[in-house]
Amino acid sequence: MVKTLGWLTALALVVGLLMAFVVAPREVTQGNVQRIMYVHVPLILASYVAFVVLAIASILYLVRRDPAADRLAHASGEVGVVFVGLGIATGSIWGKPTWGTWWTWDARLTSVAILFVMYLGYLLLRGTIDDPERAARYCAVLGIVAALDIPLVHFSVYWWRTLHQPPSLMKPGGFTGSASILWPLLVNLLGFVLLYAYFVARRVRLLRAEAEAVP
Amino acid sequence: MPDNWSFVAAAYALTAAVLFAYWRRLAKKEREVTMRERSNANRSRPTADRSRLTAERSGSTAERSGLSAERSQEPSRTGHPRPDPDSRHSLQ
Repeated sequence: MVKTLGWLTALALVVGLLMAFVVAPREVTQGNVQRIMYVHVPLILASYVAFVVLAIASILYLVRRDPAADRLAHASGEVGVVFVGLGIATGSIWGKPTWGTWWTWDARLTSVAILFVMYLGYLLLRGTIDDPERAARYCAVLGIVAALDIPLVHFSVYWWRTLHQPPSLMKPGGFTGSASILWPLLVNLLGFVLLYAYFVARRVRLLRAEAEAVP
Repeated sequence: MPDNWSFVAAAYALTAAVLFAYWRRLAKKEREVTMRERSNANRSRPTADRSRLTAERSGSTAERSGLSAERSQEPSRTGHPRPDPDSRHSLQ
């Protein structure tokens, strides 16, 4: 099952990469540097998925005290941190040639940096508490609180004046660009969401094996 | 606007490198857990064998002690009867 998911993910990512460089046209104002969007946007959207799954699993854990829900939250948080970290890095690389700076403290960038730090703290909290039950309980609360930052990140470009452009996909009225940009973006989004699911499946399996190995 | 291909290459290469490193880390951890499980299984098997051996040995010790108890009842090789331990007096 996990292996099949892995092969599907690899296929989607290869097709997405080809579409980003072959099918997608050169953007008129930014030039080819805009092709960073096909990796930056899917990474950020997949990290949103990761943190929403984490929040739901955390609520389930607090209600049922099911260790499987805690393992899912832990795995989702770890993969989400990797994805959002990469999203920030690729955004910074895209920002230098287009904005003239690697980083600026505008609302979108600041709120996403807070999101990254909160989930990094989530993983650190897990590592610092020895009692697994207590660690799971504290992290579940933090996971739910941290998820409140996701709407703030997404709507920050509407609520404040920012250097960052408005959302490409999840915006009122839907995507307004051409289909030759939309399809590569959607295929890459599918690839990164599958990659998230693949990593989480393997991480959950590993956490379960580690829990069983502890006497 | 210039194409800035180096920035595009940097973004894609960084993403590929980090994701590959994370995938390798997961694979390494899985191998470690599998190895630990195997070594635990191997360790538990000789322990079972050892406990069986110990049980056998303790059985033979019990037999030996039973034998010695019998022997104590018998006369010594020199022909002198063994004194009853209860009849012995402590050294003054």
